[in-house]
This record gives sequence, C-alpha cells and structure tokens, in this order.
Amino acid sequence: MHPSIPIALVGAAFLVCGCKVSKPGVLETRVVVATKHHIIVGNKSQTNPLPYNQDNLIAGKEAFGHYCVACHGLDGQGTGVPFAAAMSPPMPSLASPEVQTYTDGQLKWVIDNGIWPSGMPASKGILNDDEIWSIVIYLRHLPSAGSLGEPEMYSH
Amino acid sequence: MKFKALISIMDVLVITATLVLPPHSSGQGSSQRIEIVAKRFDYTPNDVTLKKGVPVLLVLTSKDVEHGLKVPGLNILLKVKKGESKELALTPSQAGTFTGQCAVFCGNGHGSMKMTFHVTE
Repeated sequence: MHPSIPIALVGAAFLVCGCKVSKPGVLETRVVVATKHHIIVGNKSQTNPLPYNQDNLIAGKEAFGHYCVACHGLDGQGTGVPFAAAMSPPMPSLASPEVQTYTDGQLKWVIDNGIWPSGMPASKGILNDDEIWSIVIYLRHLPSAGSLGEPEMYSH
Repeated sequence: MKFKALISIMDVLVITATLVLPPHSSGQGSSQRIEIVAKRFDYTPNDVTLKKGVPVLLVLTSKDVEHGLKVPGLNILLKVKKGESKELALTPSQAGTFTGQCAVFCGNGHGSMKMTFHVTE
C-alpha cells in the first residue's frame, strides 16, 4: 500500500466528521464572539437615525415578524423554532449579551450583510433601510422569552 | 323671433365658455388623478412630479401580491391587496424630492421597491 493512502483516509475521515453539526467548545465560542465583535462586524459608530418611539417599535416588530421569525422566533429568542437549539454555529438569543453588546450600527451591519458561516443571511435589498433600523429598535426592546408564543408556520 | 335670438346668444356663450374655461374635473374637487401600478418589485410610473399646493388624487393598484406605498415626507401611506386599488387625496405642502417605498413585505426584492416624487414650486 502506498504510504500516502492511510494519510488520505485519515484526512477524509477527519473532513467527514468535521462537517457534522456539533456544539463548539468554550474556547472556540469565545474566540469567535471576540472576532465578530472586534474584527468582522463593521459599522460600529453609526447611530440609529430613527428615534425610539411606539410607532418605530411597532414597525420594527412588524418587519421582524415578516422576515426574521422563521429562525429567531417572534420574541427573537428562538421560542417555538424547532431547529433553534440544533444549529452549528449555535444561534444566539437576540436578547443575550453576545448580541446586545453590538452597537446599533453593528446590528444594522449584521442584518445588511449576514455573518458567514452562521447561517445568518444578508438582507440588504430584501428589507429597506428604514425597516432594518426599526428592527434594531425592536431588538433593543424585545419582549420576554415565550411571551408572544411561537411562529404560526410551526404550529400547523 | 326673440326666443330664437335668445337661444343663439346662449349657444354662443356655451361654446365660448367651452373654449375659454379650463375643463371641469369630477370627483375630488379639482384633483389631478395619478395612477400608480405596483408589482413585484417596482412601481409604474416610478417617477412622478407634483406641484406644491395643487391637490392630486393618488390611485395605487397592485397587480400581484399585497403591496404598499410609504412616503413619510408627503404623509403618504397606502396598503393595497392583490388586484385592488386604494385612493389617497393629498396636497403637497413643501417642495423637494421624496422617496417612496413599499410598505408591505412582498418578497426578496421588497427592500429595493422604490419610487420618487418630485414636488416643484
């Protein structure tokens, strides 16, 4: 047997096993979160042009309800989303410190551009700027977990 | 004879009035009617010019799914279901250029579904 064949087999096995969904370790999580916050996600200094008020909060909740609920749930905390706890990289609760410590500008950037390889898609052009900024307002004022029930699409 | 002369004078007056006076508009006072058709993911027309202080009647029609038209600077908010039309009477009170965008999530091009209103002095 050629000596490179076992090495190739081990490498292939590693690649196959490496593609399986699994929970990341603590160190991996910390490195990824720090990298996202300080290197990858831009637009740190931009402020939200929309003021916080009931109209903009309702608009944000409505826009979030049309588009984001399929993955994040009505409450932004994954309530009722059957695959929410099974994703890798894991999908954070939008009420968690990991998300809430982003600036408003960074949240806009994440919604605009998505984050590879998390599964978060880019939404620029799908939602307009006003809707995205109103979603940022909604993210800052999320209801308590479970208080809105689950998305209708998962209850049929 | 006098009667015939009177009829002739009235005819002349009516014809003169028809030629000289501006046409009478029906419906919303003297509103100009502007029809806008919405379909995924654009408006036709997508560029409209209005005159400050002149009343208009906007008519928004959707050809496919539910759409909307939101122009905060002109106080316009219309939502219309598939195959239906909605009207809004308005009188622009300030000149400028205003962007309108779809107010109802309508699919993957929703965010870029926009049109422009020019309001001239």
